Amino acid sequence: MAELMPQDEFRVALEKAFEGTMAKDASFSRAWATGKLERQHFVHWATNHYHYIGPFGDYLGLMYANTPASARDAKDFLLQNMYEEELSDLRHSDLLIRFAEACGGTREHVQDRRNTMPFTKGLQGWMYHISGTENFVVSSAALIVGLESQVPSIYRTQYPALLDEYGFSEEEAEFFDLHITSDEIHGERGYQIVLTYADTPQLQERCLDIVREAADMRFAYTKALYSTYVEPDLGVWAEEDALVS
Amino acid sequence: MPRIYFKTSDRVVTFPEGDDVNVLRVSIRAECGLPWKCASGTCGTDRVLVEDGAENLDPPRRRERERLGELLDHGYRLGCQTYARGDITISWDPDQVGLDDDSSTAERLRAKWLGAADTD
Repeated sequence: MAELMPQDEFRVALEKAFEGTMAKDASFSRAWATGKLERQHFVHWATNHYHYIGPFGDYLGLMYANTPASARDAKDFLLQNMYEEELSDLRHSDLLIRFAEACGGTREHVQDRRNTMPFTKGLQGWMYHISGTENFVVSSAALIVGLESQVPSIYRTQYPALLDEYGFSEEEAEFFDLHITSDEIHGERGYQIVLTYADTPQLQERCLDIVREAADMRFAYTKALYSTYVEPDLGVWAEEDALVS
Repeated sequence: MPRIYFKTSDRVVTFPEGDDVNVLRVSIRAECGLPWKCASGTCGTDRVLVEDGAENLDPPRRRERERLGELLDHGYRLGCQTYARGDITISWDPDQVGLDDDSSTAERLRAKWLGAADTD
Protein backbone atom coordinates (compact mmCIF):
# COMPACT_ATOMS: atom_id res chain seq x y z
CA MET A 1 0.00 0.00 0.00
CA ALA A 2 1.33 3.46 -0.91
CA GLU A 3 2.56 5.67 1.92
CA LEU A 4 2.05 9.38 2.39
CA MET A 5 4.97 11.26 0.81
CA PRO A 6 6.70 13.98 2.84
CA GLN A 7 5.79 17.43 1.48
CA ASP A 8 9.18 18.12 -0.11
CA GLU A 9 9.10 14.78 -1.93
CA PHE A 10 5.49 15.36 -3.01
CA ARG A 11 6.40 18.79 -4.38
CA VAL A 12 9.17 17.33 -6.52
CA ALA A 13 6.73 14.72 -7.81
CA LEU A 14 4.21 17.43 -8.70
CA GLU A 15 6.87 19.43 -10.55
CA LYS A 16 7.96 16.31 -12.45
CA ALA A 17 4.38 15.60 -13.49
CA PHE A 18 4.68 18.38 -16.10
CA GLU A 19 7.78 16.97 -17.77
CA GLY A 20 7.41 16.60 -21.51
CA THR A 21 4.12 18.45 -21.74
CA MET A 22 4.88 22.03 -20.70
CA ALA A 23 2.77 24.37 -22.83
CA LYS A 24 5.79 26.66 -23.33
CA ASP A 25 7.28 23.89 -25.47
CA ALA A 26 4.25 23.35 -27.70
CA SER A 27 4.47 24.46 -31.32
CA PHE A 28 2.33 27.60 -31.03
CA SER A 29 4.37 28.83 -28.04
CA ARG A 30 7.67 28.15 -29.79
CA ALA A 31 6.56 29.87 -32.99
CA TRP A 32 5.45 32.87 -30.87
CA ALA A 33 8.68 33.10 -28.89
CA THR A 34 10.82 32.87 -32.00
CA GLY A 35 9.04 35.68 -33.83
CA LYS A 36 7.30 33.56 -36.49
CA LEU A 37 3.68 34.63 -35.95
CA GLU A 38 1.62 37.37 -37.54
CA ARG A 39 -1.03 39.56 -35.92
CA GLN A 40 -3.89 37.54 -37.39
CA HIS A 41 -2.55 34.50 -35.52
CA PHE A 42 -2.62 36.47 -32.27
CA VAL A 43 -6.28 37.37 -32.85
CA HIS A 44 -7.10 33.65 -33.07
CA TRP A 45 -5.03 32.98 -29.97
CA ALA A 46 -6.74 35.76 -28.00
CA THR A 47 -10.19 34.57 -29.07
CA ASN A 48 -9.53 31.02 -27.95
CA HIS A 49 -7.73 32.13 -24.80
CA TYR A 50 -10.68 34.33 -23.86
CA HIS A 51 -12.96 31.29 -23.81
CA TYR A 52 -10.38 29.27 -21.90
CA ILE A 53 -9.68 31.78 -19.12
CA GLY A 54 -12.70 34.10 -19.40
CA PRO A 55 -14.74 31.94 -16.99
CA PHE A 56 -11.82 31.60 -14.54
CA GLY A 57 -13.88 33.40 -11.89
CA ASP A 58 -16.61 30.79 -12.41
CA TYR A 59 -14.14 27.93 -12.00
CA LEU A 60 -12.75 29.48 -8.83
CA GLY A 61 -16.28 30.10 -7.51
CA LEU A 62 -17.14 26.43 -7.95
CA MET A 63 -13.93 25.45 -6.19
CA TYR A 64 -14.72 27.91 -3.40
CA ALA A 65 -18.10 26.28 -2.85
CA ASN A 66 -16.45 22.84 -2.71
CA THR A 67 -13.84 23.93 -0.14
CA PRO A 68 -14.76 23.23 3.49
CA ALA A 69 -14.74 26.02 6.08
CA SER A 70 -11.98 24.13 7.89
CA ALA A 71 -9.65 25.05 5.00
CA ARG A 72 -10.18 28.77 5.53
CA ASP A 73 -6.81 29.78 4.06
CA ALA A 74 -7.60 27.91 0.86
CA LYS A 75 -11.04 29.52 0.63
CA ASP A 76 -9.52 32.96 1.19
CA PHE A 77 -6.93 32.37 -1.51
CA LEU A 78 -9.59 31.35 -4.03
CA LEU A 79 -11.64 34.43 -3.20
CA GLN A 80 -8.60 36.69 -3.51
CA ASN A 81 -7.70 35.09 -6.83
CA MET A 82 -11.28 35.62 -8.06
CA TYR A 83 -11.19 39.27 -6.95
CA GLU A 84 -7.93 39.87 -8.78
CA GLU A 85 -9.28 38.30 -11.97
CA GLU A 86 -12.35 40.49 -12.01
CA LEU A 87 -12.26 43.56 -9.76
CA SER A 88 -9.00 44.58 -8.16
CA ASP A 89 -7.82 46.59 -11.13
CA LEU A 90 -8.62 46.10 -14.80
CA ARG A 91 -10.63 42.97 -15.53
CA HIS A 92 -8.15 40.46 -16.88
CA SER A 93 -10.38 39.42 -19.76
CA ASP A 94 -10.57 43.10 -20.80
CA LEU A 95 -6.76 43.24 -20.95
CA LEU A 96 -6.91 40.24 -23.25
CA ILE A 97 -9.44 41.98 -25.50
CA ARG A 98 -7.21 45.09 -25.52
CA PHE A 99 -4.42 42.91 -26.90
CA ALA A 100 -6.73 41.40 -29.52
CA GLU A 101 -7.82 44.87 -30.62
CA ALA A 102 -4.16 45.91 -30.95
CA CYS A 103 -3.81 42.98 -33.34
CA GLY A 104 -6.74 44.09 -35.48
CA GLY A 105 -9.45 41.98 -33.81
CA THR A 106 -12.70 43.15 -32.27
CA ARG A 107 -14.38 42.58 -28.91
CA GLU A 108 -17.36 41.00 -30.70
CA HIS A 109 -15.17 38.50 -32.53
CA VAL A 110 -13.28 37.55 -29.39
CA GLN A 111 -16.42 37.06 -27.31
CA ASP A 112 -18.21 34.91 -29.90
CA ARG A 113 -17.59 31.30 -28.91
CA ARG A 114 -18.36 30.17 -32.47
CA ASN A 115 -14.90 31.52 -33.33
CA THR A 116 -13.13 28.99 -31.10
CA MET A 117 -11.70 25.56 -31.76
CA PRO A 118 -13.40 22.39 -30.51
CA PHE A 119 -10.26 21.91 -28.37
CA THR A 120 -11.05 25.18 -26.60
CA LYS A 121 -14.63 24.24 -25.89
CA GLY A 122 -13.35 20.91 -24.60
CA LEU A 123 -10.78 22.56 -22.33
CA GLN A 124 -13.39 24.95 -20.97
CA GLY A 125 -15.79 22.08 -20.31
CA TRP A 126 -13.04 20.08 -18.60
CA MET A 127 -12.32 23.02 -16.30
CA TYR A 128 -16.00 23.40 -15.39
CA HIS A 129 -16.15 19.66 -14.73
CA ILE A 130 -13.05 19.50 -12.53
CA SER A 131 -13.85 22.66 -10.57
CA GLY A 132 -17.48 21.68 -10.06
CA THR A 133 -17.15 18.02 -9.16
CA GLU A 134 -13.73 17.31 -7.68
CA ASN A 135 -12.41 17.58 -4.14
CA PHE A 136 -10.98 21.10 -3.75
CA VAL A 137 -7.45 19.72 -3.33
CA VAL A 138 -7.69 17.90 -6.63
CA SER A 139 -9.21 20.86 -8.47
CA SER A 140 -6.49 23.13 -7.01
CA ALA A 141 -3.88 20.69 -8.30
CA ALA A 142 -5.52 20.74 -11.73
CA LEU A 143 -6.33 24.39 -12.30
CA ILE A 144 -3.78 26.20 -10.16
CA VAL A 145 -0.74 23.91 -10.13
CA GLY A 146 -1.36 22.17 -13.45
CA LEU A 147 -2.50 25.17 -15.49
CA GLU A 148 -2.00 28.53 -13.77
CA SER A 149 1.46 27.85 -12.38
CA GLN A 150 2.74 27.25 -15.94
CA VAL A 151 1.90 30.78 -17.03
CA PRO A 152 5.12 32.58 -15.98
CA SER A 153 7.24 30.04 -17.86
CA ILE A 154 5.17 30.64 -21.00
CA TYR A 155 4.87 34.42 -20.91
CA ARG A 156 8.43 35.13 -19.79
CA THR A 157 9.56 34.14 -23.27
CA GLN A 158 6.51 35.42 -25.14
CA TYR A 159 6.27 38.88 -23.57
CA PRO A 160 9.77 40.09 -24.57
CA ALA A 161 9.07 38.83 -28.08
CA LEU A 162 5.84 40.85 -28.19
CA LEU A 163 7.77 44.04 -27.41
CA ASP A 164 11.00 43.39 -29.31
CA GLU A 165 10.01 41.17 -32.26
CA TYR A 166 6.40 42.11 -32.89
CA GLY A 167 6.46 45.81 -31.92
CA PHE A 168 3.65 45.94 -29.34
CA SER A 169 3.66 48.59 -26.64
CA GLU A 170 3.78 47.77 -22.91
CA GLU A 171 0.17 48.91 -22.61
CA GLU A 172 -1.03 46.71 -25.47
CA ALA A 173 0.75 43.71 -23.96
CA GLU A 174 -0.11 44.41 -20.32
CA PHE A 175 -2.10 41.16 -20.06
CA PHE A 176 1.12 39.18 -20.34
CA ASP A 177 3.31 41.23 -18.02
CA LEU A 178 0.61 41.14 -15.35
CA HIS A 179 0.33 37.36 -15.47
CA ILE A 180 4.07 36.73 -15.40
CA THR A 181 4.18 38.01 -11.85
CA SER A 182 0.68 37.35 -10.50
CA ASP A 183 0.69 33.70 -11.53
CA GLU A 184 4.05 33.19 -9.82
CA ILE A 185 2.26 33.95 -6.58
CA HIS A 186 -0.98 32.17 -7.42
CA GLY A 187 1.02 29.11 -8.48
CA GLU A 188 3.01 29.09 -5.26
CA ARG A 189 -0.14 29.37 -3.15
CA GLY A 190 -1.64 26.55 -5.21
CA TYR A 191 1.32 24.34 -4.38
CA GLN A 192 0.95 25.19 -0.68
CA ILE A 193 -2.74 24.26 -0.67
CA VAL A 194 -2.09 20.96 -2.41
CA LEU A 195 0.91 20.14 -0.21
CA THR A 196 -1.05 20.92 2.95
CA TYR A 197 -4.41 19.36 2.23
CA ALA A 198 -3.48 16.31 0.16
CA ASP A 199 -3.13 14.37 3.40
CA THR A 200 -3.65 10.79 2.27
CA PRO A 201 -1.66 8.70 -0.22
CA GLN A 202 -4.78 8.41 -2.34
CA LEU A 203 -5.26 12.19 -2.53
CA GLN A 204 -1.59 12.71 -3.34
CA GLU A 205 -1.81 10.17 -6.15
CA ARG A 206 -5.01 11.74 -7.46
CA CYS A 207 -3.32 15.16 -7.46
CA LEU A 208 -0.35 13.83 -9.43
CA ASP A 209 -2.68 12.25 -11.96
CA ILE A 210 -4.71 15.41 -12.40
CA VAL A 211 -1.61 17.60 -12.83
CA ARG A 212 -0.48 15.27 -15.63
CA GLU A 213 -3.96 15.47 -17.13
CA ALA A 214 -4.04 19.28 -16.88
CA ALA A 215 -0.62 19.60 -18.50
CA ASP A 216 -1.75 17.27 -21.29
CA MET A 217 -4.88 19.35 -21.80
CA ARG A 218 -2.99 22.64 -22.07
CA PHE A 219 -0.29 21.14 -24.27
CA ALA A 220 -2.82 19.64 -26.66
CA TYR A 221 -4.78 22.90 -26.76
CA THR A 222 -1.65 24.96 -27.49
CA LYS A 223 -0.52 22.51 -30.14
CA ALA A 224 -3.98 22.66 -31.74
CA LEU A 225 -3.70 26.45 -31.99
CA TYR A 226 -0.70 25.96 -34.24
CA SER A 227 -2.16 23.21 -36.39
CA THR A 228 -5.46 25.07 -36.83
CA TYR A 229 -4.30 28.62 -37.46
CA VAL A 230 -0.57 28.67 -38.24
CA GLU A 231 0.27 25.44 -40.02
CA PRO A 232 -1.62 26.48 -43.18
CA ASP A 233 0.76 29.48 -43.37
CA LEU A 234 4.05 28.14 -42.00
CA GLY A 235 3.79 24.37 -42.40
CA VAL A 236 4.40 21.66 -39.80
CA TRP A 237 6.43 22.81 -36.78
CA ALA A 238 9.60 20.76 -36.99
CA GLU A 239 10.77 21.28 -33.41
CA GLU A 240 7.74 19.65 -31.85
CA ASP A 241 8.50 15.98 -32.48
CA ALA A 242 11.84 16.29 -30.74
CA LEU A 243 10.28 17.90 -27.70
CA VAL A 244 7.51 15.42 -27.04
CA SER A 245 9.18 12.16 -28.05
CA MET B 1 24.73 29.80 -4.67
CA PRO B 2 23.07 33.25 -4.74
CA ARG B 3 21.10 34.17 -1.62
CA ILE B 4 18.29 36.43 -0.59
CA TYR B 5 18.66 37.80 2.92
CA PHE B 6 15.26 38.71 4.34
CA LYS B 7 16.76 40.98 6.99
CA THR B 8 13.57 41.88 8.85
CA SER B 9 12.76 38.23 9.55
CA ASP B 10 16.45 37.21 9.62
CA ARG B 11 15.93 34.48 7.05
CA VAL B 12 18.27 33.46 4.25
CA VAL B 13 17.16 31.57 1.15
CA THR B 14 19.55 30.33 -1.53
CA PHE B 15 18.73 29.45 -5.10
CA PRO B 16 20.63 27.78 -7.96
CA GLU B 17 23.22 29.78 -9.87
CA GLY B 18 21.82 30.91 -13.21
CA ASP B 19 18.20 31.02 -12.01
CA ASP B 20 16.22 34.18 -11.44
CA VAL B 21 13.52 34.01 -8.80
CA ASN B 22 10.48 36.06 -7.87
CA VAL B 23 11.18 37.66 -4.50
CA LEU B 24 7.66 37.36 -3.08
CA ARG B 25 7.32 33.77 -4.28
CA VAL B 26 10.53 32.87 -2.46
CA SER B 27 9.23 34.55 0.68
CA ILE B 28 5.93 32.68 0.54
CA ARG B 29 7.54 29.33 -0.20
CA ALA B 30 10.17 29.63 2.54
CA GLU B 31 7.86 31.45 4.98
CA CYS B 32 10.08 34.52 5.28
CA GLY B 33 7.28 36.82 6.42
CA LEU B 34 7.16 39.54 3.76
CA PRO B 35 3.61 40.99 4.02
CA TRP B 36 1.52 40.81 0.86
CA LYS B 37 -2.07 41.04 -0.25
CA CYS B 38 -2.55 41.07 -4.00
CA ALA B 39 -0.17 39.51 -6.47
CA SER B 40 -0.33 42.00 -9.27
CA GLY B 41 1.56 45.11 -8.17
CA THR B 42 -1.65 46.89 -7.25
CA CYS B 43 -1.67 47.19 -3.46
CA GLY B 44 2.01 47.80 -2.66
CA THR B 45 1.81 45.82 0.59
CA ASP B 46 4.95 43.85 -0.31
CA ARG B 47 7.27 46.84 -0.86
CA VAL B 48 10.83 46.24 0.30
CA LEU B 49 13.87 48.42 0.79
CA VAL B 50 16.77 46.93 -1.15
CA GLU B 51 19.70 47.43 1.19
CA ASP B 52 22.22 45.56 -0.92
CA GLY B 53 22.41 43.97 -4.36
CA ALA B 54 20.07 46.22 -6.35
CA GLU B 55 22.19 45.47 -9.40
CA ASN B 56 21.10 41.83 -9.10
CA LEU B 57 17.44 42.67 -9.66
CA ASP B 58 15.67 42.96 -12.99
CA PRO B 59 14.58 46.46 -14.10
CA PRO B 60 11.30 47.77 -12.60
CA ARG B 61 8.23 46.67 -14.53
CA ARG B 62 5.53 49.07 -15.71
CA ARG B 63 3.14 48.34 -12.84
CA GLU B 64 5.96 48.66 -10.32
CA ARG B 65 7.00 52.03 -11.72
CA GLU B 66 3.43 53.29 -11.58
CA ARG B 67 2.72 51.91 -8.09
CA LEU B 68 5.93 53.00 -6.38
CA GLY B 69 6.63 56.27 -8.15
CA GLU B 70 9.26 58.19 -6.19
CA LEU B 71 9.76 55.31 -3.77
CA LEU B 72 11.70 53.58 -6.55
CA ASP B 73 14.29 56.36 -6.40
CA HIS B 74 14.63 55.75 -2.66
CA GLY B 75 15.56 52.10 -3.18
CA TYR B 76 12.17 50.42 -2.82
CA ARG B 77 10.86 47.58 -4.96
CA LEU B 78 7.74 45.41 -4.93
CA GLY B 79 8.45 41.80 -4.00
CA CYS B 80 5.76 40.45 -6.32
CA GLN B 81 7.11 42.32 -9.34
CA THR B 82 10.83 41.74 -8.82
CA TYR B 83 13.12 38.92 -9.90
CA ALA B 84 16.55 38.38 -8.32
CA ARG B 85 19.45 36.68 -10.08
CA GLY B 86 22.16 37.23 -7.43
CA ASP B 87 22.71 38.15 -3.78
CA ILE B 88 20.34 40.73 -2.31
CA THR B 89 19.44 42.03 1.15
CA ILE B 90 15.94 43.40 1.73
CA SER B 91 14.02 44.81 4.69
CA TRP B 92 10.53 46.11 5.36
CA ASP B 93 8.26 47.41 8.09
CA PRO B 94 6.57 44.30 9.53
CA ASP B 95 3.38 46.29 10.13
CA GLN B 96 3.19 47.88 6.71
CA VAL B 97 -0.09 47.85 4.80
CA GLY B 98 -0.99 48.64 1.21
CA LEU B 99 -0.12 52.05 -0.15
CA ASP B 100 -3.80 52.93 -0.58
CA ASP B 101 -5.22 51.27 2.50
CA ASP B 102 -5.91 54.60 4.20
CA SER B 103 -7.38 56.25 1.14
CA SER B 104 -10.98 57.23 0.60
CA THR B 105 -11.14 54.72 -2.24
CA ALA B 106 -10.38 51.88 0.12
CA GLU B 107 -12.92 53.25 2.59
CA ARG B 108 -15.61 53.36 -0.09
CA LEU B 109 -14.83 49.80 -1.10
CA ARG B 110 -15.04 48.63 2.49
CA ALA B 111 -18.39 50.38 2.94
CA LYS B 112 -19.67 48.84 -0.28
CA TRP B 113 -18.60 45.28 0.35
CA LEU B 114 -18.86 44.93 4.10
CA GLY B 115 -21.78 45.48 6.43
CA ALA B 116 -21.63 48.34 8.93
CA ALA B 117 -20.81 45.95 11.76
CA ASP B 118 -17.79 44.64 9.88
CA THR B 119 -16.33 48.08 9.29
CA ASP B 120 -16.11 49.02 12.97
